[in-house]
Amino acid sequence: MTDADDTTVRSDGGSEPPRRTVTIPDSIELPRLLDFYDLQDDEHTRISEFYDRLRDGSLSTTECRDCGDLQFPPRVMCPECTSDDLAYVSLPHDGTLFAFSAVRGSGPLGMTEDTPFVTSVVDLDGVDVKLSARIDGADYDDLSIGDPVTLEVVDIDGPTDQHRVFYRFRPRGDTA
Amino acid sequence: MMPRNAAIVGGGHADWGHREATWKDLAQEAGKATFDDVDGLTPDDVEGLFVGAVQPERFAFQSHVAPLAAELLGIDVTKMISRTELACASGQAALRYAWLAIAAGQLDVALVLGVEKMNLGDEYMAETQASMTNVLDREFDGVNGLNAPSFFSMFAQRHMHEYGTTHEQLARVSVKNKNHAANNPYAQFQTEVDVDDVLDSYPVAPPLCLLDCSGITDGAAGLLLVSEEKARELTDTAAYVTGSGQSCMAGNSINNLPSFSGWPQATQAAEEAYDQAGIDDPVDELDVAEIHDCFSISEIIEYEDLGWVEKGEGGQFAEDGRGELDGDIAVNPRGGLLGCGHPLGATGVSQALEIYKQFTGEVESARQVPDSPETGLIHNLSGSGSVHSVMTLARDPQ
Repeated sequence: MTDADDTTVRSDGGSEPPRRTVTIPDSIELPRLLDFYDLQDDEHTRISEFYDRLRDGSLSTTECRDCGDLQFPPRVMCPECTSDDLAYVSLPHDGTLFAFSAVRGSGPLGMTEDTPFVTSVVDLDGVDVKLSARIDGADYDDLSIGDPVTLEVVDIDGPTDQHRVFYRFRPRGDTA
Repeated sequence: MMPRNAAIVGGGHADWGHREATWKDLAQEAGKATFDDVDGLTPDDVEGLFVGAVQPERFAFQSHVAPLAAELLGIDVTKMISRTELACASGQAALRYAWLAIAAGQLDVALVLGVEKMNLGDEYMAETQASMTNVLDREFDGVNGLNAPSFFSMFAQRHMHEYGTTHEQLARVSVKNKNHAANNPYAQFQTEVDVDDVLDSYPVAPPLCLLDCSGITDGAAGLLLVSEEKARELTDTAAYVTGSGQSCMAGNSINNLPSFSGWPQATQAAEEAYDQAGIDDPVDELDVAEIHDCFSISEIIEYEDLGWVEKGEGGQFAEDGRGELDGDIAVNPRGGLLGCGHPLGATGVSQALEIYKQFTGEVESARQVPDSPETGLIHNLSGSGSVHSVMTLARDPQ
């Protein structure tokens, strides 16, 4: 909006209206709502224990103390019996490739420098959990359904000061 | 049975594709095309407005879009106004709510409008991809960069692994639908292709190639849905809603989907709709179907899970041409998502309008289903395929 003092009524096209320049930023820092990773501390999420355990090197999830239902992703309410008495339990770090593909076109915001990368569904050994995960240390053409993979913890650098973590998998036996 | 029948009596499209136009421009183009198409109805007659729109907040930085559309189209809403978001099924969801409102006696004339502005320019494709990726559980699945092509590619891989389905069979779906779109003036992709073109295109998310995928599309479509009494005043040929089903099996994230080679939700939704419509044998009783071919593999799986062939025989259904215009069921004569593109909120509206236009014989002759089709079906999946929506339509109400 312009100030009242700047407003002149233009009559018969005789004089130009006043103008001003409004400057907006050339760029805007990655806003919270375009950050794929959540803030992981107990001030922002009630599943902070999942992230705390992962930061310590352990993949975990919630299990219902009342009905025994094992959930993934971790929850605050059991979807089987509506109990909120849930315990964190460790998950296996080994699994096999159930399905996989690769992102070779434009990646989502924050991942454009990563392409091409392998996406997958990993079937964890000995437990009824299949999770989606990126596969590091292999190209699409190197992989087959059923290949053994193992957990890799990823430390997230930026854009907050929090030490955030996530997980990926890599071919088992690959120590690169 | 619902107490009152409702019918589509016409509608129209904006041109779809990479449009040099805003969300508001597209809404107005589809609105004008809709009112131009229907003699006897103007914006003044519309009592309810139902807008399918998935991410105007992200793609156009605009929310509360239903009243915005009402203003643009000059509609004084007196009964009901709503915007629906159900990812790729938002248009069908809007139509379903309009149908329920008419069936319940709340109103007689509804405009169902689907609008999506998705192309922001190539330099912003990463933002568009981010917006598509957050349709999955963003915290645990989207975060892994699983965009739509790489997600549905895993269904292609599993279907090939479990049933021996071939990429050539998938390519037959792309060829059929894109060749229909070549005769559709509002479609995004109007170039005919052959099987080799599909197989030789860039493997953007292996095993799927570029021509196995639908597009990022700007587009809009509108239709007028009215009570049976009103429909009989207006026209001799209408498309009556005869059944509608939806299914979501308490699973949306990767770990909680029931299958990676099938969609039992589609079976459940279809059985619900068939039951309402009195359909016992869909292959025998359905003349035309617009089903959700976001990727070539999707249509193969839908042949199976809509109950048309046994599990694992979808590839053979394509190879045998049973979904061609002169086949057992004419599938996607509009050109499908593979040919028309997929402006998310508009797709379901456009599919339903195509069934109406096939009934009235108003489509281009090269893609007209022969022998005066009288029964049809639309199907959408949405998001991770966690929800399936099915609606049946017929020239005659039951």
